[in-house]
Amino acid sequence: MLHESLWRENADVIRSCLEHPFVRGLADGTLSHDAFRYYVAQDALFLRAFVRAYALAAAKCADLDHARLFHELMTGALNELKLHAGYAAQLGIHLTHVKPDPATSAYTEFLLRVAWHDSLAEIIAAMLPCMQLYWYLGTELAASLYPQHPFEDWIGTYSSKEFKQLCTRLEWLLDEVASDCPAVRDAYCYAMKCELGFFSAPMENPP
Amino acid sequence: MILGEFEESTLVGAAGSLWREATEAPFLAAIRAGLLPNEAFHRWLVQDYLFVKGATTFLAVAIAKTPRPAQKVLISGLAALDMELDWFEEKASKRGFDLNAPPHPTCRRYVDFLVASAYTQPFEVLLGMLYGVEVTYLCGWSALEPTGPYAEFIDRWSNDQFAQYVRRLLDLCRQHVHAGQQELFNEVLRHEHEFWRMTWKG
Repeated sequence: MLHESLWRENADVIRSCLEHPFVRGLADGTLSHDAFRYYVAQDALFLRAFVRAYALAAAKCADLDHARLFHELMTGALNELKLHAGYAAQLGIHLTHVKPDPATSAYTEFLLRVAWHDSLAEIIAAMLPCMQLYWYLGTELAASLYPQHPFEDWIGTYSSKEFKQLCTRLEWLLDEVASDCPAVRDAYCYAMKCELGFFSAPMENPP
Repeated sequence: MILGEFEESTLVGAAGSLWREATEAPFLAAIRAGLLPNEAFHRWLVQDYLFVKGATTFLAVAIAKTPRPAQKVLISGLAALDMELDWFEEKASKRGFDLNAPPHPTCRRYVDFLVASAYTQPFEVLLGMLYGVEVTYLCGWSALEPTGPYAEFIDRWSNDQFAQYVRRLLDLCRQHVHAGQQELFNEVLRHEHEFWRMTWKG
């Protein structure tokens, strides 16, 4: 299966994400309030681009069942944005005033470039790492949960059955639509590297 | 060559220090001093070629969105980029440089920014971006005398014909003013600065 071989080929970047100080802080609950605040604000900007990319992917589907799946994924991303709006309200972030970090711009501009300009297979390859990685991190971090863990909601969202279902369906679609070619591998690998950069940004930007 | 009109243009003036950062670079200073390391030249040539390939996509999409009279200038620019790609291929082949090398992340970010913007921004903003891409190269390279081992490279981006093209782009920006033009012009300058830094430091 293509989605499995891509995941395996990028194991080193995935391990770096799991071992990243930001993710370790989420796991043991020691991540600073400021770093989480920064991350939530940037992630909201990222998700907006993700929603647009899903819409563009749907527009490129000749098969209506595939388009329906993107509709569901888009709904999932919009629900994630609601979760962020909730965090933002709690953390006192005005999402409309947030400026993109260079790591966010690199990721969103890559996604939008692929979504507008490239094939459906490349779009899925660019979007799947985020889904797979968050499911993986959610389930890995679920083992670290303790009563009143400060990031329980975050971990719960990404280790949920609903999230896994969306991730699995996107994996299925990649296998269905894409062939193992350099453009697909490159889009997947670059997106995974963008994920790693995304975790570094909140640690490198003190308020 | 008179570059004052470009440096005095509203877009450049409002960009503040970004302008200097986008047009002055250790890479260019090293050419002037005759001390450019081969490694930096190799990196620049390959990455600039990959950038021009991306800029061709940007320009092709921008042309499709631009109304007819302004389109003419952009079409001539696209033809020039096509010739530039041929020229880069010839230079690389002579030196044995591999143009199939992967793009450096800095080059990649610049191209992603250009192509994503080509699809999402109005044509007036794209005109400002294209002007930014070209005017920074014109002014950066024009600070050098076209002599020495890199004379042909210096001349390529400091000759009168190129300056005339950039002047036509500036005229188009003035004819098609847009509230979003400055912000993305500034963003082009930031990418130019990063690009020069990459050619020098790797």
